[in-house]
Amino acid sequence: MNLTTYIAMDFWRNLRNAGNSFFVIVLPTALFLFFGASMDWSDGPVQDGNVSAWIMIGIACYGAAMATASLAGAAAVELQQGWGRQLSLTAMPPGAFVGAKTVISLAMAALPVIVLNLAGVLTIADMPLGTWLAAAALTILGAAPFALYGLAIGLTFRSDAAVGTASGILVIFSFLGNGFMPLDGVLLDIGRLTPMYGLVALARYPLTDGMLVGMAGPGGTDPLWMVLANVLAWTLIFGALCLLAQRRRTRRQ
Amino acid sequence: MPRPEQTEGMSRTSVITTRDVRVTYPDGAGGRVHAVDGVDLDVSRGEVTALLGPNGAGKTTLIDVLLGLTAPDQGSLEVLGTSPTAAVRDGRISALLQTGGLLPDLTAAETVRMIAALHRNPADVDEVIDTAGVRPFASRRVGKCSGGQQQRLRFALALLPRPEVLILDEPTAGMDVSARHEFWDRMRAQADAGATVLFATHYLEEAEQFARRTVLLDHGRMLADGATDEVRSRAGATHLQVTWSPTEAELAVLHETVPDVRAVEQRGSRLALRTDTPDAAAVHLLTRTAAHDLTVRPASLEEAFQMLTGDGDGPVGTDETAQDPEELLR
Repeated sequence: MNLTTYIAMDFWRNLRNAGNSFFVIVLPTALFLFFGASMDWSDGPVQDGNVSAWIMIGIACYGAAMATASLAGAAAVELQQGWGRQLSLTAMPPGAFVGAKTVISLAMAALPVIVLNLAGVLTIADMPLGTWLAAAALTILGAAPFALYGLAIGLTFRSDAAVGTASGILVIFSFLGNGFMPLDGVLLDIGRLTPMYGLVALARYPLTDGMLVGMAGPGGTDPLWMVLANVLAWTLIFGALCLLAQRRRTRRQ
Repeated sequence: MPRPEQTEGMSRTSVITTRDVRVTYPDGAGGRVHAVDGVDLDVSRGEVTALLGPNGAGKTTLIDVLLGLTAPDQGSLEVLGTSPTAAVRDGRISALLQTGGLLPDLTAAETVRMIAALHRNPADVDEVIDTAGVRPFASRRVGKCSGGQQQRLRFALALLPRPEVLILDEPTAGMDVSARHEFWDRMRAQADAGATVLFATHYLEEAEQFARRTVLLDHGRMLADGATDEVRSRAGATHLQVTWSPTEAELAVLHETVPDVRAVEQRGSRLALRTDTPDAAAVHLLTRTAAHDLTVRPASLEEAFQMLTGDGDGPVGTDETAQDPEELLR
């Protein structure tokens, strides 16, 4: 048995899925080049870094969350369409499927982070090296709860189209989550309650220490506990939705 | 219904043994569907057995139990002297599953390679691709393969662990006649090489052509188990219809000449008959009576089941709502 071969093939299968890769890698990179690297405000300062780096982190969060959500959603659909039965007829140990998908999701989540950071380095994004690394690591880890989001959708609707739509909605969540453009006023107040806000603010924390960036210069600050509360709350909500979907499914059986 | 010659030395020759296996599912209305309702099955090494039954007979559920995909609510079973899951893990039993179970965005060859990576001691991938006839479309994406090609791919996956026991769930579903013939030729080669084969089908003729032994399953129970010829003869009535309005006397002559005529029904000017000796009946009707416009039709499987159960107006095989629990889940 060779789990590495299986994981490599499944990773490659997901990577060459044109729709996935476009939203996970190409779109975030394009967004960054438009909004993060070539605007008037791009090289304005944010603590020890600049606005370009601030935007880069937000967009990388979007790419990473897209990756984990669509992968987990697709995995749920796969299992329910009989691939799980096929795998049950092999020597693959129980639990290896989840393990393999975790490795693949994290690898997929790392891709937009790596590509965006390269784009950042090659353009004008700037921050201290430690901040680069910390932000990148928090982006990948913080994207993990969005696997639960994708999983809940996949378990509930059992179709690739639903998973695609759910991943598409992440664009809106990312905008509301302050991921693309600096928000202020009412939009920012609403945004603080949406699921991407916590991830984006957490990943930016090494750069901003919670400081908010507004169109008209620095705004207020988000305390760390508030950022973590958002991440925790949405993780619990997505987890609960998964359990509900799973229970509904078992009851039908 | 264990056959006497198998109960002796069962541990040596029997590769599948089930005793009073029962599986139930909730029917959605508070009750439970008895998908498998007390099955005692013994399959000997090297045997080719057909599991014959209409939709909803419990074939897929029974197969799931034999593969360890479903745990029985009751009863015991042994596959190759161990539990189904252990036999599957060791690659000693494998299966061609019904619809689903493939990823549309992989190519056929990639699917074989990916599943091969999950077996402990898989056969050579290229060899399996040739044996199963996957080569001509090996680089095609599964989603673009025809139903028959997908079945060949599933067959390739079933061959990967080099199993001692092969289970096939409706293997020729979605195949045209020539693909069907080709498939059974490949299967026969496997059986000749010593594999034990158990296949589910609702085609009587597939059981006849390929299996020496047939198990009839309906409503989760085994209705018959024996040599295929024997089962076939029990189920093999033929329907005749003629345009004829006979008198009582003429009917009496018919019964006398063709004693096994089982059912006679007048529908308008048409007379329907059921008999095991259609030739004799036809000769009599066309040469000794005024009957004309003779039509002959073999009994359908559903009718065969009705005859075997004596359940003339029951829901046997004709109940549109009766489906495999697996299908209800989709």
